[in-house]
Amino acid sequence: MRLIVWIGMIFVAGLASTKACHAESESTPEQVRFFETSIRPLLVDKCQKCHGAEKQWGMLRLDSRDAILRGGESGPAIIPGKSEESRLVQAIRHADDSLKMPPKEKLTESQIADVIRWIGMGAPFPAATENGKRAFRNPNHWAFQPVRSSPPPKTKDSRWSSVRWDQFVLKKLEVAEIPPTKSADPRKLIRRVTYDLTGLPPTPSEVAEFIDGARPDAFARLIDRLLASPAYGERWGRHWLDVARYADSNGLDENVAHGNAWRYRDYVVAAFNEDRPYTDFLTEQLAGDLLPADNDDQRCRLLTATGFLSLGPKVLAEVDETKMEMDIIDEQVDTVGRAVLGLTLGCARCHDHKFDPIETADYYGLAGIFKSTKTMEHFKKVARWHENFLPSNMARAQQAVHESQVVQQKAAIQALVERADAGVKSTLQAGEAVPEKLEDRYSDETKSQLKTLRDELAELEKTGPDLPTAMGVSEGTVVDVAIHIRGNPLKLGNVVPRRVPNVLTRQELAPVFEATRSGRLELARWLTDPENPLTSRVFVNRVWRWHFGKGLVRSVDNFGLQSENPSHPELLDSLARHFVDSGWSLKRLHRHLLESSTYRLDSQATSGRPDRDHENRLLGRFEIRRLEAEEVRDAMIAVGDGLDRRLGNSLLTVKNRAYFFDHTSKDLTDYSSQRRSIYLPVVRNNVYDVFQLLDFPDAAVPSGDRPTTTIAPQALLMMNSEFVMKCSAEFAATLLDKPSANDESRIQQAYLRAFGREPTIGEVNESLTFLKEIGRARSGTDGTNEVSREKSWQSLCHVIVSSNEFIYVK
Amino acid sequence: MGPFFEVSRRQLLKRSAVGFGSLALSSMLADEAAANSVDIDPLAPKSPHLPARAKRVIFLFMKGGPSHLDTFDPKPLLERDDGKPLPFAKPRVQFAPTGNLLKSPWKFQQYGQSGAWVSDLFPHLSGCVDDLCFVHSMHGTNPAHGGAVLKIHTGSDSFVRPSIGSWVSYGLGTDNGNLPAFVTICPTLAHGGINNWGSAFLPAAYQGTPIGNASVPSDQAHVRYIHNPTSSRAVQRLELERLKAMNREHQASSGPEPSLEARINSFELAFRMQTAMPQVEDLSDESLATQQLYGLDDPINANFGRMCLMARRFAERGVRFIQVTHSDSKVQWDQHSDLKNGHEKNAREVDKPIAGLLKDLKSRGLLDDTLVWWGGEFGRTPTVEGSNGRDHNPEGFTMWLAGGGVKPGFHFGSTDDYGFYAAENKVHIHDLHATILHLLGLDHERLTYRHAGRDFRLTDVEGNVVHQLLS
Repeated sequence: MRLIVWIGMIFVAGLASTKACHAESESTPEQVRFFETSIRPLLVDKCQKCHGAEKQWGMLRLDSRDAILRGGESGPAIIPGKSEESRLVQAIRHADDSLKMPPKEKLTESQIADVIRWIGMGAPFPAATENGKRAFRNPNHWAFQPVRSSPPPKTKDSRWSSVRWDQFVLKKLEVAEIPPTKSADPRKLIRRVTYDLTGLPPTPSEVAEFIDGARPDAFARLIDRLLASPAYGERWGRHWLDVARYADSNGLDENVAHGNAWRYRDYVVAAFNEDRPYTDFLTEQLAGDLLPADNDDQRCRLLTATGFLSLGPKVLAEVDETKMEMDIIDEQVDTVGRAVLGLTLGCARCHDHKFDPIETADYYGLAGIFKSTKTMEHFKKVARWHENFLPSNMARAQQAVHESQVVQQKAAIQALVERADAGVKSTLQAGEAVPEKLEDRYSDETKSQLKTLRDELAELEKTGPDLPTAMGVSEGTVVDVAIHIRGNPLKLGNVVPRRVPNVLTRQELAPVFEATRSGRLELARWLTDPENPLTSRVFVNRVWRWHFGKGLVRSVDNFGLQSENPSHPELLDSLARHFVDSGWSLKRLHRHLLESSTYRLDSQATSGRPDRDHENRLLGRFEIRRLEAEEVRDAMIAVGDGLDRRLGNSLLTVKNRAYFFDHTSKDLTDYSSQRRSIYLPVVRNNVYDVFQLLDFPDAAVPSGDRPTTTIAPQALLMMNSEFVMKCSAEFAATLLDKPSANDESRIQQAYLRAFGREPTIGEVNESLTFLKEIGRARSGTDGTNEVSREKSWQSLCHVIVSSNEFIYVK
Repeated sequence: MGPFFEVSRRQLLKRSAVGFGSLALSSMLADEAAANSVDIDPLAPKSPHLPARAKRVIFLFMKGGPSHLDTFDPKPLLERDDGKPLPFAKPRVQFAPTGNLLKSPWKFQQYGQSGAWVSDLFPHLSGCVDDLCFVHSMHGTNPAHGGAVLKIHTGSDSFVRPSIGSWVSYGLGTDNGNLPAFVTICPTLAHGGINNWGSAFLPAAYQGTPIGNASVPSDQAHVRYIHNPTSSRAVQRLELERLKAMNREHQASSGPEPSLEARINSFELAFRMQTAMPQVEDLSDESLATQQLYGLDDPINANFGRMCLMARRFAERGVRFIQVTHSDSKVQWDQHSDLKNGHEKNAREVDKPIAGLLKDLKSRGLLDDTLVWWGGEFGRTPTVEGSNGRDHNPEGFTMWLAGGGVKPGFHFGSTDDYGFYAAENKVHIHDLHATILHLLGLDHERLTYRHAGRDFRLTDVEGNVVHQLLS
């Protein structure tokens, strides 16, 4: 029973499951919460600078319960339960002139009251403790342990499972005495899997073929066909773009166009279609510029891939350049952490991670890798990100033409100068010294000619040919970074050699970072090592989430101590192991998942039984899902035959680095294209409102889990937007376009296209009645005249594409 | 799952038939490891943590950074030392280089019982000073528009975070289910744009609903998709009836699915909103006297006046957070040069409408529980930029509050003798945010949302309620 009703109070239950130890007794969750929100931050901010790991003034440390109890030169800092007798309380009250802490700035009254309350509670101070227990900063947290392989359990029903991993699911259902529901019928199945793999509705003929074919391997063949379609990469590449916080504009303060980001997007789509192993895919994105290439195309691809590191939002008008640089590095560290490892590494920028065993030093060890990487051309406002030149014969030819133009221009100038000099010299009187600057004596005409030529040269050198470039990184000056105390670039601590977080690696597997290289390639190799406990788990769980609607670990972007435990830990590990063993091939993973009995379950719970697993944590049924924003748009255009299926390239209407909105608030975006949604520009701060209303993710942070909200403005969009009205009109026109058809067959066609099924007789009749009613309401006629007939059909189509059956997949 | 669940679930669904955002099922427990409670009706009215002094907020945002030194914070030494160097250090980081001290081009006088100093820029507002609660010691962290505008709206200048209006909607819900809880009238699309009214990781039901934007005249500013360009109400009604019938049939074959039910209801609500929203935007039922009070009869005031009058109409209909932005198609109050003409034009546009709004709210008894908040993203430097401008200054500036539980005719804090730095009783933007939430009955330390493994707050780990401002 997990449904918690919200009755006026904001109730946060997340920490309820968090246990931690202090002294002999367990802290209550409420105490832990109080400590973590009110006391730990206070100790970190106000005390530990002088009484912590780095300094121990008065021999006192205030960073663990033991240390506090041990105290310093003048004895224990606190006596648990006795705040009035605790020296710490005397110190923070500033009552005694010889003992005022913090010395310069007295704590606020409420902070003092908090400390008193905390000591009164017995001074709970949760820290990492015993194995297996959820505890703060616990290095033995499940997700940090090696991926295990356990054989699937024996189940009572030996026939239900289609693939071996089904048994993990069935076993739990059997234990809970919840039988899985029936399998979905073929019509539901083809609609489900077609949207799932391509983001598009199946066409009526595809449905017919699947149902009539009735071969035993029909479903496997269907999956193969879908995986081979270019639409597959457009759909699954988009999932990765959510994780890569892909956008065609910077957002934040200076919303300038990422004019070349589309190259990265196209790279991602192609990588999915080509089934590039996930290890290569990651390595290219982190260090493509450092990998060998056989030819120009490959070099371009590898350079483009590094756009991943550069796509984040940046405060480009940040006045403090040092801060800007560290902010950009922070964004990179945090993105790699969330996207690949499912860890919020960014939390460790200012203090040791509050929950995970990630220390500030771990953070700056990683930061050094990105500090040694060139992401920006310069940091002067408005700062400019780096782009890599994309080599090709064409580009080299353009470059050569340009260079020869420069040479010619210089030669022309030289020739003119020589001629003119000779002219001047010839006019010199005998014995007259040759003047230092002959140019002053040129005729006005020559001077003007020379100026023109020189201006042309300057212009030529300044502009150069418009050669293709891609956002991305290259190697910078290799450095190690000092700890920034509390994240402040002006307060530096010890320098941390570049390294990966200690908790995530065994000594012998830790990569070696050399003085001559940034270490991105070493980082990528370490991340993609089969022994890395997080990379495969996190990715397999993402893929599961995208197929099934919720992750086995539901906090898909967070596998740290604040994550939720996996519902099926052995299944997660078994899938991760399978993924690694099959060469990190995503298409193989899709087949492995989709050919299961679990995926093919119906979405309705077994009838006649009380549904005891409302959240469907045990996977006894397939969850219905609302189409995602792009699917809604693509399907609406597709049913009216309007979808332009060309692949790739840019739809941006503004130039690279130009503003979508400058100070004028004028909107320069344009979404009128009929291309697939993945190709529409993603403008941070102003995402296309059809997308924004339908839960398109915030393109500023990695996100593997789009929410599904249902709000009235979405209904307004469906009812009144030009986009939906236009799609309805095109859908109607397609239906009316067949003069031989009658209205019944048109309705049938509409249902087949929109829902993948035939209408019932009742539905046909109701639709016919509706057409008549609309005709009357529109024109006072019964809808037989041509104009009103068209409008009536538009209304019918409008209703169909607005309906739940169209918007939801069962 | 026992019978209790069945009952409560049905009841909840029933509840979901009221309330604008209603339906945000927030993907049933899927988000954030189900740490946040499930909100079937996220905008249902909620009780505050503390006794509330204000029920709603009207934020009059002066984009670009009005100069405190030329409006409400006169400095005799600045007048005396005009043209001399600043006798102490400028901040380490500045937006643009500035020169020596520049005195204000305007005269200041004292007004009202409270004796507040106001420059000649605000002849109308100076009549309202006894209702205002000035904070002269505001300070922020970011000297660029982008960061500073985001900071004022979201508490963060480097991350995408929910807007204060979203936090308030999340904390309190709304009393009027036919309107959004949070509207923003003619907001600027630059410098953070939508993030300034976005809900970030809070559920979408809490995002602000923009009415036009800064490049649209206020009489043409509407909520998106509120009108159907081609279909009559009768046709729409028929379509919705048919839609409902189809959705019911679909649902019958799907089993109990709250998300399907919610979507059915969302269409009904949207249909009602189509009526409610234009009624607020239509000012024709306001008396001539009221229209004149806001300056609607004067072309200089009409644009901003309509926005202020609309704000009052949203306020009386129970909308929780109403933002009105004063920004033309440029960065309105950003006088890096030509301070005199720029500020004069800006002040003329807003002076009468703001005074009108305050008087109107007061005469209707709305000022008692409506908190009015005025200000820009920062102030300006006492030192000159170019020959006659002032640079951005987040180190010290003035904002004022009115109504909703703050001390009327009150002054708090001060800047140094030249007005560069907040000096006495400094109030950081986080502190102001904490105070605004406090006035609404929300404890800024308890108004949290679990996201990405931690509990987030508007004030992050900062903020102290400024109790001295409370009446």
